[in-house]
Amino acid sequence: MTRETLARLILGGLLAGALGLSLAAYGLARRDVIEIHGRMAEAGGWTPAALDATVGQPLRLRLVADDVVHGFAVGQMDWPAINLLPGRPVETMLTFDRPGRYTFYCTRWCGLGHWRMRGVIEVAGPGAAAAPAGPPLYVQLGLDLDAPRPASAAPLPEGRPSASRGAALAVEVPELGEPRGESPAAVWQALRAQAANESFDDAELWEAVAWLWRSQTTPAALAEGERLYAANCAACHGEAGAGDGVFAPELAHPAEHTQMGAGHQTQAPTAFTDPAGMLGVSPAVLHGKLIRGGMGTGMPAWGPVFTDAQAWALIDYLWTFQFDYAASP
Amino acid sequence: MTPAALSRSRALGWAAWLAAAILILALPWPAFARTPADRVIRVEGRRFEYAPGTVAVNMGDRVTLELVATDVVHGLHLDGYNLTLTAEPGQTARLTFVADRPGTFRFRCSTTCGPLHPFMIGQLTVGTNDFFWRAAGLIGLAALAAVWGLRR
Ligand code: HEC
Ligand SMILES: [Cu+2]
Ligand SMILES: [Cu+2]
Repeated sequence: MTRETLARLILGGLLAGALGLSLAAYGLARRDVIEIHGRMAEAGGWTPAALDATVGQPLRLRLVADDVVHGFAVGQMDWPAINLLPGRPVETMLTFDRPGRYTFYCTRWCGLGHWRMRGVIEVAGPGAAAAPAGPPLYVQLGLDLDAPRPASAAPLPEGRPSASRGAALAVEVPELGEPRGESPAAVWQALRAQAANESFDDAELWEAVAWLWRSQTTPAALAEGERLYAANCAACHGEAGAGDGVFAPELAHPAEHTQMGAGHQTQAPTAFTDPAGMLGVSPAVLHGKLIRGGMGTGMPAWGPVFTDAQAWALIDYLWTFQFDYAASP
Repeated sequence: MTPAALSRSRALGWAAWLAAAILILALPWPAFARTPADRVIRVEGRRFEYAPGTVAVNMGDRVTLELVATDVVHGLHLDGYNLTLTAEPGQTARLTFVADRPGTFRFRCSTTCGPLHPFMIGQLTVGTNDFFWRAAGLIGLAALAAVWGLRR
């Protein structure tokens, strides 16, 4: 063998080795990329819908929308949602630092069954699971979410009572227990029962209730609630809270519509603008319904999706359909 | 009347009808019909159609298009004006423009919404309806002229 042939062989071998190594490295990196396909809930939702991960180890995902626009987010995490357009797969990497059971969900409306488009990620590993913030308020207060609601004994206000006007009244407020455990009507009656409030008429006491309600929230929470409401709730409950969202007819008459399979017993979404319904119920009960869901009524369970702060921001925002929180009346 | 005078008056009569016809065709359209108006047009998008599928406005109108998606995310791209809207169920999308180009324009869904997505198409017509009225005028005129011609 001449020297030249030897040199050629060595060079060729080196080149082939380099190429092979980089290919192998690429293959290794791709091996743990999990491809997740998103389809409308009626066509199967997410596949796969159950993932496993380990604390501290990146979970690589390649997300593909197969039919219509979907979105991907992990519940209770503040990672930004990822928009998924058909034909434009997106790769992402998630790293969890606490073990636990996480829910991933679709963030863009993709039909009446959109909210069913969820999956779970079981994260194993050392460390304490993300601590639950204790039982929800309705459980702490022992409230029954499904108890029939007696008609409000307080006379209903006309129009939306103004919190700013209520703030100017100097109404005598009695000691209330957990403020979010009482309905506006109950607080109104407590105000009426104060001898010092005799000079105020019924409408003024409602303005005082609106003021008490506003003082339990912040402009930042209301803005967050407004954003979450538009994205997650308005399609059923209506953009103005009147229970007239685009899916309301299907929920009210499930049998006449084909999107829902037969056998679904759903009902019309609650109108948050209806004072008779809203003023007799406490924030704690509404919060409970939000996180637990309506149990077969068509109201989704949002507990695994929203953080505690987000859920309360939504409930705070719902009261703006009853009370006028504007800074000046 | 002499036959010559008769035929002359007949010819004059036909000339008058012809002049009226030309007037109907060429008369500038009265200005009042063009007073621009503010129009809000709500279009519902569902797989795979728009309701209404055809929309007509007048030249110069300030048009606010409201796109309401009733099942999945839909878009609306208006050819000619080059405008795009995207709406998600529960979040009405709005866009205001001045209809300053006459003609008939297609609008089509700009967000993939399923197998028949390419066929999700609607139509916007910008213009006064004067073509219709001029045609109606001509037909009326022709009827009158026919009656006139037969009577002689
Ligand atoms: C898929 C349709 C749908 C969506 C989306 C939806 N809801 Fe509902 N919701 C319903 C229906 C139907 C009811 C009535 C059934 C019931 O009371 O359990 C309801 C009831 C409720 C109630 C209970 C009202 C009461 O007086 O008991 C609350 C609170 C509520 N929804 C809040 C929300 C919020 C906040 C969101 C958004 C995060 C939301 N809902 C999204 C359908 C929906
Ligand atoms: Cu989806
Ligand atoms: Cu479409």
